[in-house]
Amino acid sequence: MKSYKELPNDAGSNIIGQVTAQADRLQKRLASVKHTVAIMSGKGGVGKSAIAANLAVALTLRGNTVGVVDADINGPTLAKMMGVRNATLEYTPAGVKPAVAGLGTKLISMDLLLAEDDTPVLWNAHTQKDAFTWRSTMEVGALREFIADTVWGELDYLLLDLPPGSDRLPNVAELIPNLGGVVVVTIPSEVSQLVVKKSVTMARDVLKVPIIGVVENMAFYVCQHCGEEEPLFSADETLDDAFQQVLLGSIPFDPRLARCSDTGIPYIDEYPDTPASKALIQVTEKIQNFFDEKTQRSL
Amino acid sequence: MKFLCTDCDTAMKFKDVTRPEQGSVTALFECPDCFTEIAMYLNPSETQMLKSLDLKLGGNNEAAQPMQLVRSQLETAKGESMPNEFSPEIASSETTEGGKCPFTGVISEAFQEEPEPTEPTGPVWSAEALERLERIPAFVRPMAKMGIESFAKENGHDEITGAIMDAARGNFPAQF
Repeated sequence: MKSYKELPNDAGSNIIGQVTAQADRLQKRLASVKHTVAIMSGKGGVGKSAIAANLAVALTLRGNTVGVVDADINGPTLAKMMGVRNATLEYTPAGVKPAVAGLGTKLISMDLLLAEDDTPVLWNAHTQKDAFTWRSTMEVGALREFIADTVWGELDYLLLDLPPGSDRLPNVAELIPNLGGVVVVTIPSEVSQLVVKKSVTMARDVLKVPIIGVVENMAFYVCQHCGEEEPLFSADETLDDAFQQVLLGSIPFDPRLARCSDTGIPYIDEYPDTPASKALIQVTEKIQNFFDEKTQRSL
Repeated sequence: MKFLCTDCDTAMKFKDVTRPEQGSVTALFECPDCFTEIAMYLNPSETQMLKSLDLKLGGNNEAAQPMQLVRSQLETAKGESMPNEFSPEIASSETTEGGKCPFTGVISEAFQEEPEPTEPTGPVWSAEALERLERIPAFVRPMAKMGIESFAKENGHDEITGAIMDAARGNFPAQF
């Protein structure tokens, strides 16, 4: 009796061919993207998406063409933060035209596909029971299509804003084998750093993805009247040494940044001279330097 | 996944696939030498997994549409802007359901459920039996359900009770 390997094909479904075609679509699209950056935290509520939105704007203001993938399929926020929630996606034979924010930053997000504010991401299925067996697969498929089927055009940077947790990064690393690097966002609290360390280990040691650096968000508070800096968290809660070594910048807490995120106004453009904007620009410069040096090394 | 006709020692070939019935698809394979057919049943979880991977049994010769998985599988999608020159013949087949993708019918045709019969054709489950059914591990529950229903039909029972489940139990490895 013939063994599995002796049988010539999979009876005609050509599953490998179908999967290869999906991968080809993805690689073809990524060919026009110079640098891919995943922005992750591991912990929720650290302001990762707000950082991602402002880094995208800062990179755009520095003359780069920038696209953003809101990879948080179930909790998308970037369309609101970037002021494009009312955009209607346009479908063309070449792909889906992304939403374009005021300064030219392009965005694709599940939020742009959901019917109403209170519409959850619900997939067609005979039953939603036992959805744990396939839901994650569906989400990775959605992420693949977001990257592969969006008409990005030529991009200098494609940022991927990952959901909290370290579980999505392996999916991204598989979809984008030459992922340029990871920016890790944390806040000074020990709890946040504890969880974020796991994400760093996952990226650096397991997936072998370069860590561009760490952004310390809500690092301190600047009094808007006297300009004095005060710690927002306990003074004992400082950034771990391991994070200090790869620190891209410390972003002070500014309530106006939260307000801008709520209203879809790019904070960094609206308040360019604030300590938070200056810190964000510093982070942006370091990200660009990381890729410039990488390019130099490869020449 | 491959299938071998053990009589001929020949690889079987895909022949046909049904639309899902109660979430489950059936694929037919045939031996090219002796024409023996076998049916492979995918339970609803397996069928859904195949959908989630955006893969099609029997192969896929159609060009991929932009974001076809998301647009065909998202239950409540936003309305879309579609340029006229894109594919008017397909666009004209848009359903009347608000916000649904005009490609949904084309893309997911293979996975669209057969319409539910207006009259129930199978036995009715008693509350007690349903409660016991829920205790069966999720991954084998659909198979067990179908098996119990077949047992009830074959033995002329209109209602599935705990006693019917006990009688059918010998046919299944799972305890319920």
